[in-house]
Amino acid sequence: MRRPVERSAAGAMSVEELTARLAEQSYLADRGLATVLNVAITLRKPLLLEGEAGVGKTQVAKDLAAVLGARLIRLQCYEGIDVAHALYDWNYARQMLYIRTLEAEQSAGREAIGELFGPDFLLRRPLLEAIEHDEAVAPVLLIDEIDRADDEFEAFLLELLSDFQVTIPEIGTIRAVERPTVILTSNRTRELHDAVRRRCLYHWIGHPTLEREIAIVRMRAGDVPDTLAAEAAAFVSRLRTLDLAKAPGVAETIDWVETLASLGDERLESETIDVTLGALLKYHEDIDRVRELDVGELVSAARKAVS
Amino acid sequence: MNAPGDAIVRRIATFGGLLRHAGVEVGPGRVLGAVQALQAIELGQRDQLYWALRCTLVARREQLPVFDAAFAAFWGAEGSLGVPTRPSPRERGEDDAATAETVVQAARRTLGAEEAPDESAEAADRARSTAWSPDERLAELDFAHYGEEELREARAVIARIAGAVPLRRSRRQAPCSAGGTLDARRTMRAAMRTEGHPLERRWRAAKIVPRRLTFLLDVSGSMEPYARACVMFLHAAVRAAPNVEAMTFGTRLTRLTPHFGVRDPERALAQAARAVPDWSGGTRIGESLKAFNDGWGRRGLTRGAVIVIVSDGWERGDTGLLGGEMQRLARMAHKVVWVNPVAGDPDYEPTAGGMAAALPWIDVFLPGHNLRSLQGLADALAAIGDGRRTSRGRVGAL
Repeated sequence: MRRPVERSAAGAMSVEELTARLAEQSYLADRGLATVLNVAITLRKPLLLEGEAGVGKTQVAKDLAAVLGARLIRLQCYEGIDVAHALYDWNYARQMLYIRTLEAEQSAGREAIGELFGPDFLLRRPLLEAIEHDEAVAPVLLIDEIDRADDEFEAFLLELLSDFQVTIPEIGTIRAVERPTVILTSNRTRELHDAVRRRCLYHWIGHPTLEREIAIVRMRAGDVPDTLAAEAAAFVSRLRTLDLAKAPGVAETIDWVETLASLGDERLESETIDVTLGALLKYHEDIDRVRELDVGELVSAARKAVS
Repeated sequence: MNAPGDAIVRRIATFGGLLRHAGVEVGPGRVLGAVQALQAIELGQRDQLYWALRCTLVARREQLPVFDAAFAAFWGAEGSLGVPTRPSPRERGEDDAATAETVVQAARRTLGAEEAPDESAEAADRARSTAWSPDERLAELDFAHYGEEELREARAVIARIAGAVPLRRSRRQAPCSAGGTLDARRTMRAAMRTEGHPLERRWRAAKIVPRRLTFLLDVSGSMEPYARACVMFLHAAVRAAPNVEAMTFGTRLTRLTPHFGVRDPERALAQAARAVPDWSGGTRIGESLKAFNDGWGRRGLTRGAVIVIVSDGWERGDTGLLGGEMQRLARMAHKVVWVNPVAGDPDYEPTAGGMAAALPWIDVFLPGHNLRSLQGLADALAAIGDGRRTSRGRVGAL
């Protein structure tokens, strides 16, 4: 068994403290998320965050980095992403120029050619940067939308997540001095392999409760009237109970409230709702569905819910 | 913070055992993780204990109801712990209404999904050899007239036919001998052997990979004569290639893929029969498709996939809904194939309410009443390449 994990300076925080410091970054984490983040920081274990789009999975990584005073390194996944995009590549153009220079100087010895595959010609991609970092505080590595990458990349990532070391054939093995805090996000468009899950802590982020959503909107939206924020949040939380193709996330609520505020509304009004639904609902069917309902009634229900 | 005492470690190990018993795979690594996680929380705070154990012992959302039930049972009633219930009814889904027992059962079924081994190499072999020559009688015999013996005889043929999978061009590239784009990395390495002169150029091109293939099989009463042969076909198809999903529908939607972990078709058939609650019942195709579009389509089973619906198109529900859901499906999918066993009848016209509503959104319409027509399906699937979409509404080989 490995020795017990030691707390790094940045991780020595209670759950309450972490919650408060995330709030300073305008991120309102609930008790569950804050506890899980604290466990992840303390154990230096990767954290897999799943949840609907727009619930703040990516944002929490950004704000956590700010809290820890760490650099955020982000790797956006997509189909076909491979080692050359994620880990490292060689600067071929520079290598070719170097060869030409050597030729011109008539000095192309074996050692000079060996230099071609040295650190000078290495392009560091996000994963290598996260492992090779030399900062006082280990960076936060955000591996975003891992479900978009394919199985082969997942297998590669698995190796990295278990040892935090990589082997570059031309240079050798590079090991992380201090493990970065790793956050993986997934929208569940594809089931992740069990082996990846086994190496990660797991947390599901759901839609927030009404009170929390109101607080989030007030905190994150720019200058918006309090009543408007509360009523809009109540309206959205009612919409989520309908059977929509894509229920709006908190991100959409914030967009929508900002849209309404920019139109000068102080409260929720049926007429402006109708023209701004596009900021909230992203499917034509969903917009139709809501228009078929009695919007006036939804509005009064929302007003009642927060009065 | 102190290292956790022996008592609590033992207690967590016991709790891990309880979860294992309930079907959540909790290995020693996870238990160790849970014990370590205690360092990050205040032990007196029972909700922190809940979250710390949850994030270390649970690996997927489907396990949450089991975990919650087990946690409540083991560490005391939910209320007294101050464990927050999950946010909204939408999040909770229908599981919460069920008793802990049925939840455990459901979770076991879901977890069974991971047993299916990867046999892609074998699949590729099979895909290459879909040609077959069963005796003519068997090839033409309608599945409705199959007895046990015919079914047994047809088994090998079905397995071979089912190996055909549609392909697509991946965004991932692989080395190739010529053509494609320049592979700078490999060219550079090769140049090292010639004093830095890139005399020999290396190439890479997009890989060809199996396209996602999803079968939706109608198991209502009117489809009964065909159901066994169809399930056998689905079983073979799921086992033949990665990325193949099988679902059944009648009055509700059931995912069969997890039950196809076993190699033996007879056992798979028996498992499928146990798993599908609405076998030989009524049909609500529109509602089932809606459930599929809502629940699975959004999670990636539809986008870019080839969807094969096996149904006679007898809709007892609203045909307007069926048309709408077919449209949604067709917009997301790469191709929609409809296999209709009844269409084997020379006098058949696709005018029945459901079929007529669905027809405009179908790319390929095929009969599926005997081995010959299944071969036709396999050929059609293999022919679906990377090409542009054909216009919808064209009725294929009738």
